[in-house]
Amino acid sequence: MNWSNLIDGELFASVVRALIPVLLAALGGLICERAGVFNIALEGLMLIGCFAAVAGSYATGSGYLGVLIAVAATVAVSAVLAYGSVTRRADPIVLGVALNIFGVGVTGFLLVAFFHVRGVFQNPKIIGLDTVRIPLLADIPWVGPVLFNLTLIGYLALILVIVTQLVMFRYPLGLRLRGVGERPTAASTLGVNPNRYRYGAVLLSGVLCGLAGAQLALGNVVQFSENMSAGRGWIAVVAVMLGRAHPIGTFGACVLFGFAEAFGFRLQGNGLPAQITDAAPYVVTLIALIIARKYFKRGIVSAVIE
Amino acid sequence: MTVQLELRGITKRFPGVLANDHIDLTVEKGEIHALMGENGAGKSTLMSILFGLYQPDEGEIRLAGVERHFASPRDAIAAGLGMVFQSFKLFPSLTVAENVVFGRETTRRGRFDRKGAEREVAAIAERYGLALDPAARVDDLPVGVLQRVEIIKALYRDASVLILDEPTAVLTPQEAERLFEILRALAADGRTIIFITHKLKEVMALSDRVTVLRDGRVADRMVTAQTDARAITRAMTGRDVVLQATAAAGEPGKTVLALHDVTVHAEDGRTAVGGGGVGGSGSGVSLEVRAGEIVGIAGVAGNGQTELVEAIAGLRPIESGTVRIGGRDVTRASVAERRRAGMAYIPEDRHAVGTAGTADTTDNLSLGHHRQPPLLRRGLLQRSAMTRRARELIERFQIKVPGPATRVGTLSGGNLQKVVVAREMSHDTPLLIAEQPTRGVDIGAIEFLHGEITAFRDWGGAVLLVSAELSEIMSLAGRILVMFEGAVVAEVPAAQANESTLGMLMAGASPDQARAAQPGELV
Amino acid sequence: MTTELAADRTLVRRTLAWLAGPVPVSIIVALAIGAVAIAIAGINPFVAYPSMVEGALTGRGPANTLQRATPIIGMAIALAIAFRAGVFNLGAEGQMVLGGLAGTLVALTMPGPGPVVIVVACLAAMAAGALWAMLAAVLQTSMGVPILISSLLLNYPARYFSSYLVRFPLKEKGSSMVATPMIPDDTRIPALIPADSAWGTALRHSLGKENALLLITRNVNYSLLVVLAVVALVIFVNRKTPGGFESGLAGQNLRFAQYGGVHTTALVIRTMIFSGAISGLVGVMLVLGSDFRLIDGALVGTNYAWTGLLVALLAANRPIGVLVSGAFFAALIVGGEAMQRSDGVSSQLSQVIQAAVIILIVVRLTLPRWLNLSRRHGRDLPAITDRVTADDEVGRV
Repeated sequence: MNWSNLIDGELFASVVRALIPVLLAALGGLICERAGVFNIALEGLMLIGCFAAVAGSYATGSGYLGVLIAVAATVAVSAVLAYGSVTRRADPIVLGVALNIFGVGVTGFLLVAFFHVRGVFQNPKIIGLDTVRIPLLADIPWVGPVLFNLTLIGYLALILVIVTQLVMFRYPLGLRLRGVGERPTAASTLGVNPNRYRYGAVLLSGVLCGLAGAQLALGNVVQFSENMSAGRGWIAVVAVMLGRAHPIGTFGACVLFGFAEAFGFRLQGNGLPAQITDAAPYVVTLIALIIARKYFKRGIVSAVIE
Repeated sequence: MTVQLELRGITKRFPGVLANDHIDLTVEKGEIHALMGENGAGKSTLMSILFGLYQPDEGEIRLAGVERHFASPRDAIAAGLGMVFQSFKLFPSLTVAENVVFGRETTRRGRFDRKGAEREVAAIAERYGLALDPAARVDDLPVGVLQRVEIIKALYRDASVLILDEPTAVLTPQEAERLFEILRALAADGRTIIFITHKLKEVMALSDRVTVLRDGRVADRMVTAQTDARAITRAMTGRDVVLQATAAAGEPGKTVLALHDVTVHAEDGRTAVGGGGVGGSGSGVSLEVRAGEIVGIAGVAGNGQTELVEAIAGLRPIESGTVRIGGRDVTRASVAERRRAGMAYIPEDRHAVGTAGTADTTDNLSLGHHRQPPLLRRGLLQRSAMTRRARELIERFQIKVPGPATRVGTLSGGNLQKVVVAREMSHDTPLLIAEQPTRGVDIGAIEFLHGEITAFRDWGGAVLLVSAELSEIMSLAGRILVMFEGAVVAEVPAAQANESTLGMLMAGASPDQARAAQPGELV
Repeated sequence: MTTELAADRTLVRRTLAWLAGPVPVSIIVALAIGAVAIAIAGINPFVAYPSMVEGALTGRGPANTLQRATPIIGMAIALAIAFRAGVFNLGAEGQMVLGGLAGTLVALTMPGPGPVVIVVACLAAMAAGALWAMLAAVLQTSMGVPILISSLLLNYPARYFSSYLVRFPLKEKGSSMVATPMIPDDTRIPALIPADSAWGTALRHSLGKENALLLITRNVNYSLLVVLAVVALVIFVNRKTPGGFESGLAGQNLRFAQYGGVHTTALVIRTMIFSGAISGLVGVMLVLGSDFRLIDGALVGTNYAWTGLLVALLAANRPIGVLVSGAFFAALIVGGEAMQRSDGVSSQLSQVIQAAVIILIVVRLTLPRWLNLSRRHGRDLPAITDRVTADDEVGRV
């Protein structure tokens, strides 16, 4: 095995590619967590986003319209989660698991209904999202090709990390969101309606998962395959835990998984069986959780499960 | 004087309960008005309606002569109402200033202006003599300060009517006295105060007028200066009640519970129990409870009592020291082993710890008894024996429940507590740990529970009683231990205890200081 | 006489109330959602649904339904015991896969009489499933990783590990299929009454070739009886043993159980071991009873773990409920496949309907007030004031 060709600029570029869908979903999960809703439906939402993006792009002939359609679909599904967990006070874990299974079923069903194929749908009429190269910046060695040659969704994801951090800790909106999640009764006695913020958070996570799905199905590849989210939504859930629901920390956790996935791919190219490297992100995630738990005794696990 | 607030014919029904039945209440501007009644009399419901948390089925609210409808607290706040809840409504991870301005933030160009918020809070605090640090995180603050934060929250929103629900429940008598001064100053400033309480002494000391509720109706209205404690009690209960326990019959027997130098950590790793005090040779808590005596632990909430009791019960690890039950070292033992060694335990939180609300009465009464005959025979559960035993306990403890198959989540506070007490006391163990055994239950149940606890003592049981109600501790316990900041700072025989001394000790005064001050009993 | 009448009347009223309750209403609405999906696919639901019913209930339908119901009920009962104890095991899939793998290894390598090998293979599968589940449990109890997450993440290594073994070391040489070699005939779990046995032929002669009972006895294997025995055992444990009593209470309030002297750490580990063992058993029975070899991705592809999860939720973790809902969901799947054959609607419709049923139940969909026969909404409410205080009493601040 030649280690020198394992690590190079291309590896970092693929880290960023692997990272972006997980990061978007994780930001959605983070906002929900802060608002006091444990959202584990990210996986299903992302998968539905993938399908809707591909279907939308195929139907309209535009990648960006595909993105819009993906967002519309995931927002609609997240509305079910919002209604159930906020208005009906249903158990968000049970609801989330059921929505994930629903996502697998409905995308598989519609794949046959619309495109009459099973498994994988590839078609030249699916228009992908082009990367937008930022001149000059993209020419910076190492960093340039990695950070300044992304899809628009990619740039948006990275900017959103900073925006989320700012809003969460510097703006009244963030203060209220954190308060609502920590003590909803205290918020409501001050005239701040917790349900409204929770609805907002869950619907926003729907938007972000739609973008995540679109990036995955129109940015990273240009196709839909059954169950293509492949656990990324769950990894996003873990990233929020590891990052203790802080945007920067969560970003760090996502980078770790992006690295595990990209490095796994690279090792595959070097002759390691795909089955071993495919398992890498999940094993890395688990180990990271165990280590993190040792470092900070409290706070990585949502109050909802503790 | 002008009428500031008027409630007319307020009625609120919950399924099966008429919580408020045509209640009229008139409060004048600048007045301190006490709203009295036992638990379940309808005080909290009435105030929740006033504050927009519930909608009344009938009746109207008039503020300064204008009829108002409060669909939510937001409306009530906008109309100039402020409420200080019995359990504080604060965000632990936010600062004092953030807590105060929450929902009505100070901003600069859209951003949250934290410094500005701190300045405003400091200004209000100074004006009314409420000492606090606006930049402190709320979960680092003691309870007395939290209450000031709550009052500032209302003042920041310029409340003209301030409602306080049982504000002294968590305060030492001295802290309560300081609170009264603040409230008098606010009233003198033209604000109207509604003060909900069930403590007679406070009503007599503070209020201008009293409205007494009973069973959801107004039982009486009085001018404080023209009435006395006895008349108010009669209005509250419909009879004369004297909550006076009988003293212990004989000398205490052998030691049942012995703690030696015990230290315990809180969730965040800080020391919750331990760190000096009397009675311990080292830094931990040491104490003994003997057969036939009730030992009371007094202290302001949050001074380590909860952690200490949980550690004794086996629900929280002990860092150092030893715990013995009936002579057996149970320091590292599981809950089950401690129970076998002779411990029964009435926990503070009957909803979250003491019962499973979705399980039926039989199951709730059986847990802990289900691994011995008659409930277990040849390794198998005897369901009919479980039901039979549940029926017996329901009858013996006068639990008002439709039947053994009823889910306990539907029971009232007092009846739920009776389920816990019935289960624990039917163990016939030598040791009973009772933590806030009568909190939030009606006066009939209090009498019953006190009777059970003293009967247990007279039978020869050892009782460790933790209570926030000094009157409860003083009437039941033979010896009183005072806890402050995780340490037992004093031991006082009940015969020599009075509220002011205990209050000073609870506030951290040394026993010498407390004795020297001796201002005589608070009225 | 009058009391009997009264009893009859309460029974009628209760039945009516149940029919107006969340379960039947959710099922009907979910079927309506399914009809919309069929229409979206461009097919008339009034054609598709009848072929679904026909496929599930006529001809080979009952036999197929029972065949499918067996692993579904097995997985559902494995999950029901975990959920009942408040342990959110999302790793049943991995536990099933490793059970199938361990059992296959035994069946392929162990010499000796068939029945003995089958028993050993089952035990090995149970051990493998139990160990994998225990790992998830220990990650929670000693490392603080919530079981929900640890068990779910462990699905992936299990899936890929078994896939690796099937693709490389265990792959049958020269076969186009990615699978292990076939297991010997005598280590296959036999049908209840094999077609080629004396009983089988006798039955065929007396009942006729197309008889449903005949089809059931020759297509359904002994796994069904094993699963029924497991369900019976779970009923017994839940009702008659102290451990079952404790896990029921722990699921309703963990702190209460702890306070009452239940060793909750041991309870979580024990529960996961049982849950994983049953999942592993289902895995091996699928290999020894229907595929006769371990095919790459086949166990994951069945989706039985997730269908079982939905069944457990629908049954509210009650064993009898698991039997009924398991059979119902199996019928949906078999009917869905028939519909796919006759009308070209994707069989994944059944998964959509199943998930929709659970979603609707979880959000407690009820009839609009004017339609509601039971009018018992109020019964949920008296606790409101209690709940407020309970909420308030949490925490110091």
